[in-house]
Amino acid sequence: MNENAMIEFRNVTFSYHSDESTEEKTILHALDFSVQPGEFVAILGRNGSGKSTIAKLANGILEPDEGRITVCGLDTSSEENHREIRRNCGLVFQNPDNQIVATIVEEDVAFGPENLGVPPVEIRSRVDAALKAVGMYDYRKKEPHKLSGGQKQRVAIAGILAMDPKCIILDEATAMLDPHGRREVMETVRRLNRERGITILYITHFMDEAAAADRVIVMDDGKIVIDDCPRAVFSQVERMKSLGLDVPQVTEMIDSLSRCGINTGGSVLDVDECIDRLANLLEEA
Amino acid sequence: MAFVLQTENLSCVYGEGTPFRTVALNEINIGIEKGELLAVIGQTGSGKSSLIQHFNGILRPSSGRVLLNGQDIWADKKNIRQVRFQVGLCFQYPEYQLFEETVYRDISFGPRNMGLKEDEIDVRVREAARYVGLTQAHLDASPFDLSGGEKRRAAIAGVIAMRPQVLILDEPTAGLDPAGRDSILGFIQAYRAETGATVIIVSHSMEDVASIATRILVVHQGSIAMTGTVDEVFSRADELVAMGLNVPQVTRVFTALNRRGFPVPRNVYTVTQARDILLKILRSEGEA
Repeated sequence: MNENAMIEFRNVTFSYHSDESTEEKTILHALDFSVQPGEFVAILGRNGSGKSTIAKLANGILEPDEGRITVCGLDTSSEENHREIRRNCGLVFQNPDNQIVATIVEEDVAFGPENLGVPPVEIRSRVDAALKAVGMYDYRKKEPHKLSGGQKQRVAIAGILAMDPKCIILDEATAMLDPHGRREVMETVRRLNRERGITILYITHFMDEAAAADRVIVMDDGKIVIDDCPRAVFSQVERMKSLGLDVPQVTEMIDSLSRCGINTGGSVLDVDECIDRLANLLEEA
Repeated sequence: MAFVLQTENLSCVYGEGTPFRTVALNEINIGIEKGELLAVIGQTGSGKSSLIQHFNGILRPSSGRVLLNGQDIWADKKNIRQVRFQVGLCFQYPEYQLFEETVYRDISFGPRNMGLKEDEIDVRVREAARYVGLTQAHLDASPFDLSGGEKRRAAIAGVIAMRPQVLILDEPTAGLDPAGRDSILGFIQAYRAETGATVIIVSHSMEDVASIATRILVVHQGSIAMTGTVDEVFSRADELVAMGLNVPQVTRVFTALNRRGFPVPRNVYTVTQARDILLKILRSEGEA
């Protein structure tokens, strides 16, 4: 066991049991991985690969059939740890409309610390600080249903920040947002990771978002098939496609040039890098 | 030119007579030709959803007209039900609207409402299921036992089963994984090729739009900001970005290279196009 890990899965197997039959569907097979404090880890995988199950297990919503999961060193199988785990490790879900409970933005953000029994004066300062951190302070008196999807997700993140967490897990938190909302959420999360050292576990279908992480875990059929830095992951264009995934468009373009015998100098991950690489190639030519 | 769908000075105002009055659509004049695959793009709040909801009479124009095959859809209010069968609208996240016990029954809901006979309904359901790639096993299953992508396809089949002249899909690939997305885009194209139906999709994914649309309509602040082929629209990447829209990554790269003075076109939006253009330049230079 790595005692210092933020999240640790050791030999975790999980199945969903149907009520009506004895049939079991194994979702995760002997999963082994850990996330270190301060890391920004993205998880990719097609629908049904087990990504969301990881998020629910890490939060103690689900319990593993076998193996052991610890979050901040706390075992998720022990119910008395759940409160502490959830305070330290918040979860943002996919649908922005399913996770807001109050009728005013700042009351929603206060919900967590209120439940933790934080003194009112401190709640005030925590709520303000959390809303400022996600750029939603000016909206503190608004009704959540009048916000855009990206703003709602940032309020959800503020609700977690108000509990002073060490780690945030986002389970396809940008899937239902428009490009603008996606950018808002992604930038917020990156800033929290960089400036406050909050550990991020970021489950997504968007390859460009995963490309911005420190590390990418690729799931297929309940197993980890790739676990590496984004560059090493996305340079495997054919492999990613065979896993039902994709690579950023610029990565694919450079890869297709390489395949045609052009010396491109290796894989690229984002637009800026691609522009520079092509500018060099075109100048040399 | 005869249009299948057309708007004449279509305006839509929400909250008329209140302090919250908002003009969602301002004097829109567009014509959609039979067999087009029109992509409607625009930021959230641009008015694109209001626009498509006028196409099948879910919203009634504040002023102006919507014409289906040259007929004002609101000429006789009793006919609006027929309009909704002919212009099939599939909302965003349609899988949340599945409600029947089996997928078969769910897909048959539309044709049944049309008053079709049982054997005709059966033909329609099987045809629609085939278009979206659902098997007999799927049809017998409960909608709630399907995967996310399968549910989405079942919901779209429910609209296709009405054999609408115009099929409108609001964000058909939102929230799907790449394989689910490719399967949806693939069957939309096959459906259009086989039936000759007009298809309108609303999408935030410029990569999707670039790969399947025959024409793009850009909605911005309640007006039509641009319309044209994928080529024409994406060659104005700078303007799209200024409107808060995304353009495909490849388009951003080519626009930037063009701006730096390299002899590359701006209207490049797919990987294959980009590769071929670059190969031509890099190889011919190498030989010279």
